[in-house]
Amino acid sequence: MPLQSKAFQRWLHGVAPDASTADVCRIAGIKRTTLAQQLVRGKVAESTLVSISRGFHINPVQALSTFDLYSELRGDPVPPTGCELVSQVATIDLLRAVVERSEPGSAAAAPLSEPPHPTSVRNWVDAIDDGELRHRVSDATGIAPQNFSAHLTANRLPPELAIATSRAAGVGPAGGLVAGGLITEAEAGWPPNARQEALDRMSQSALVTLAGERLLALGKTLRRQEQDHERTERIWENLG
Amino acid sequence: MTAVLPWVTLVVCLAVTVARIPSALRGENRVVFYIFSLISLSIFISIEAPYLVLDSWLGGMNIGNLILRFLLYTTFFLMGIKIATAFGSSSAVRAIRGPVGLTVAAIVAVLTVYFFVITDTQGSSAGMSGLRWGPSLEAYAFMGRFYPGFVAACLVPAIWRTVVSPAPVLLRVASALLLLGLCLLLLSQFFPLIPFSEAWLRVLINYSAAMSTCIGLAGIWFSKAYARRKRRLSA
Repeated sequence: MPLQSKAFQRWLHGVAPDASTADVCRIAGIKRTTLAQQLVRGKVAESTLVSISRGFHINPVQALSTFDLYSELRGDPVPPTGCELVSQVATIDLLRAVVERSEPGSAAAAPLSEPPHPTSVRNWVDAIDDGELRHRVSDATGIAPQNFSAHLTANRLPPELAIATSRAAGVGPAGGLVAGGLITEAEAGWPPNARQEALDRMSQSALVTLAGERLLALGKTLRRQEQDHERTERIWENLG
Repeated sequence: MTAVLPWVTLVVCLAVTVARIPSALRGENRVVFYIFSLISLSIFISIEAPYLVLDSWLGGMNIGNLILRFLLYTTFFLMGIKIATAFGSSSAVRAIRGPVGLTVAAIVAVLTVYFFVITDTQGSSAGMSGLRWGPSLEAYAFMGRFYPGFVAACLVPAIWRTVVSPAPVLLRVASALLLLGLCLLLLSQFFPLIPFSEAWLRVLINYSAAMSTCIGLAGIWFSKAYARRKRRLSA
């Protein structure tokens, strides 16, 4: 459940006591109607809070942590595990790393692209999953396992579910928010080169195996997309 | 409302048919144009005023109704094959066009003519509702409902799979409308259970079925045009 609008307005008043709603929306780069609608419904999306925090140069994680639902984010950021860091390396960057490791100097080392990438969420959950994680998350939150899977497939991770998942896995609370694209790795307190360093620490065999797994999963996804596409095209070709 | 519904349905179907003329002239999917024309023509004949005029030319013994039945059979045969191919159900194509489907169609056609011939059909009336209803007329009416229902039953599973698939939203909505139309045809198999005093319910179901089938088919066409335009604009 997103943020209660009462608590949100209290927070907003603390952040920008003199700004009008129009000002807030302009500075945060969000639509006025969107904010108004969320306030009327009584629930403000976390992404709205994040946009406003950025607009007013406040760390979004700190802003979130002032709400009870996100109290786990208070205090010093928990450093991410190596697996989490590597999970947020895009597949294409991973492949470049494999090439670079196999034939050093053959390609100019480009900086890693920022998370989230198209399979961030699933990769993150896979990275912290000990085999029982999904069960624990579904026990703790009441989310049906197939709905959890649907989120992973859609590369979506509602912030509340991200927190619950990291709690169930015993990792830092901000990792899921990075994977879900709510906050950047810098905002989560990850050191700037952490992902690159984690990648460099991997043995060549581990790197190649992981790249293989990623490619296999990517192949599956692409095949499904192609099938869906073909099905749609056949309907249009015959009836359009 | 049931007096207006047939005319509204006719207008909608005619509008879609006219809208398809340019693409038919270009040679794109002419069969779809024929299907829409047949649906429009069937609806036109089924409405009381045109029906009475047409039937009076044919001798006032409801031969018009017989013609209408065969128009509908043709429509559903063509539509069934086209939709089954489109939705990628080879089993449905086989069921409609294969030996089983052709046998069903032949039996329905022969029995329709047979029951028409052995019934006293003097006295023009739309839907033959003014005649005295005996077992032979019931059987005749059953044939008229059965074949569309048969085709609909063949198509429902494949369309349902598309409705719940991750296809573009517009396409799924259009497919759902098409599915609704076909389900109404399946529902029409239970017409004998509707008492005569509630005849408006049959009219409602029949024309709603035609309308949502027609809008669904047109919607699929629209979803294609929309997707193409969006792609062009983003390119």
